[in-house]
Amino acid sequence: MAILAGVFGLVAGSAAAETLTIALSTAEIKVNSTFSGETVTLFGVIERDAATVSRNTDYEIAVVLRGPPQDVIERRKDRIAMVWVNSASETIVAAPSFYALDTSGELAEISTPPILARNEIGFDSIDFQYKGRDGADDPVATEFRDAFVRLKKNAGLYSEQPAGVSFIGGTDDVFQAAMWIPANAPDGEYTVEVFLFSGNALLAREEGRLHITKVGFEQLMYSSAHNHALLYGLACVLLALFTGWLAGVIFRRD
Amino acid sequence: MLIYLPIAGLSVNMFIIFGMGGAVGFLSGLFGVGGGFLLTPLLIFSGIPPVVSIATVASQIVASSSSAALSYWRRRMIDMKLALVLMLSGAVGTLLGVVVFNALRQLGQLDLIISICYVTFLGLIGTLMLRESVRSMINSRKGRPAPLRRAAQHNWVHRLPFKMRFKRSKLYVSAIPVVALGFGIGFLGALLGIGGGFILVPALIYLLRVPTNVVIGTSLIQIVATMSIATMLHAYSSQTVDIVLALILMVGGVIGAQFGVRVGQNIRGDQLRALLALLVLAVGIRFLIGLVTPPDERYSLTILTGGAL
Repeated sequence: MAILAGVFGLVAGSAAAETLTIALSTAEIKVNSTFSGETVTLFGVIERDAATVSRNTDYEIAVVLRGPPQDVIERRKDRIAMVWVNSASETIVAAPSFYALDTSGELAEISTPPILARNEIGFDSIDFQYKGRDGADDPVATEFRDAFVRLKKNAGLYSEQPAGVSFIGGTDDVFQAAMWIPANAPDGEYTVEVFLFSGNALLAREEGRLHITKVGFEQLMYSSAHNHALLYGLACVLLALFTGWLAGVIFRRD
Repeated sequence: MLIYLPIAGLSVNMFIIFGMGGAVGFLSGLFGVGGGFLLTPLLIFSGIPPVVSIATVASQIVASSSSAALSYWRRRMIDMKLALVLMLSGAVGTLLGVVVFNALRQLGQLDLIISICYVTFLGLIGTLMLRESVRSMINSRKGRPAPLRRAAQHNWVHRLPFKMRFKRSKLYVSAIPVVALGFGIGFLGALLGIGGGFILVPALIYLLRVPTNVVIGTSLIQIVATMSIATMLHAYSSQTVDIVLALILMVGGVIGAQFGVRVGQNIRGDQLRALLALLVLAVGIRFLIGLVTPPDERYSLTILTGGAL
């Protein structure tokens, strides 16, 4: 299994406890126009040395894949004089654009809420920063936070898989997680965090990176629309005039 | 066949979009209207973000109007001086329309204002058209001749100051209504994703008494100019023109229009106008329903930094 760790993995950890070694099946995903989603597999090995204490509880694994942070305005519609109007709004600063959690079991059985919260494991633990609001205890922030997670889940960008991590071949130290990258996943730098727990205690943590890049004609159009806006606009107008002229030539009846 | 729209940021079935472009093109050929006021709502109802729909339809209108404008140009059926005044004031109106568009977008109220404008305009114009066409249908059934329009008579518009002479139209009228008309059409066009021909043509005929032989060509020139400017400004200020979506709509539109023109020649005018009126009213009612029914999801997200949702 050490071979798997060879290409993309990183080795870290303290001398006395377990160490984690992880590897991703790919370090970069190229998204083109026909991209309909892809599975990235994470492999991991739990390594013990002679000094490691033997444990009488099973190992549990949590894998968090996070997309690049985004600032988002969240709006709520309310009924004003018969009509549904965007009225209340909140701004979230640097919310994860993508968040996928894969675990080897139910979160409640893996660790305690304070430890999960500290490491931002699970939707309830993500530390959303609402501009001008204090956070957890604010009822408005809680309401908007629940709606945000629901919208992201519906868009397929937030997910929790309680059985997403499995130990390979009956072992208790080699595991894998299959993470689904949907077609609408935003491009940029993703981080993979792997947490090792036993008996509710966090034993080791390891991090990896995954890059999602959009390529092809569509990406070229997107980047020119943003980087050369005036030229792009001119191209649109010329294309329209040309199409109109061509139609006139083809279908001319006079 | 799914195709990814780079600016809208979503995948759509290419044939459905092509079909929409074709259907609206067919109707625009049939009724002799630009079709923006039908195409923009259709795109919005099918899930394309309103900002992208409006900006993209502006470029589609350039394509569909320019081919007709060219044929009027060849036949010299355009009042260039009138078109120039309309175009200049239209450019100012378009600029202001795009500024208001972006301001509303930042406030998160663009969708609301668009819906309210569509309900108002389509409701008003649909009702007027329906009333007029039903009246003329009743008249023709009873064998009465249609009442003659007093086209030669002057109205209050002709008593305004700052008169200008438009030789081709044989007109000597105040510049105020011409500038106001150009400005208003440019403003609404940029804001709502419509060419505005269905307002401009009747206004030129009934308000300014522009002769019918130059009215269509002149208004087409104005629409091509203001919609070109609108496309440029939307692309420059908000990056919402989707060139892939635009191309599919343009091709579908110009082909559909050809069939529409042919079918239109075999249907009676008043029946045609009644049909169009019903269609316009239906789109207006659809917007009204969207405004007053409780939404499935009350919350929405707008990303400020870092790409699409």
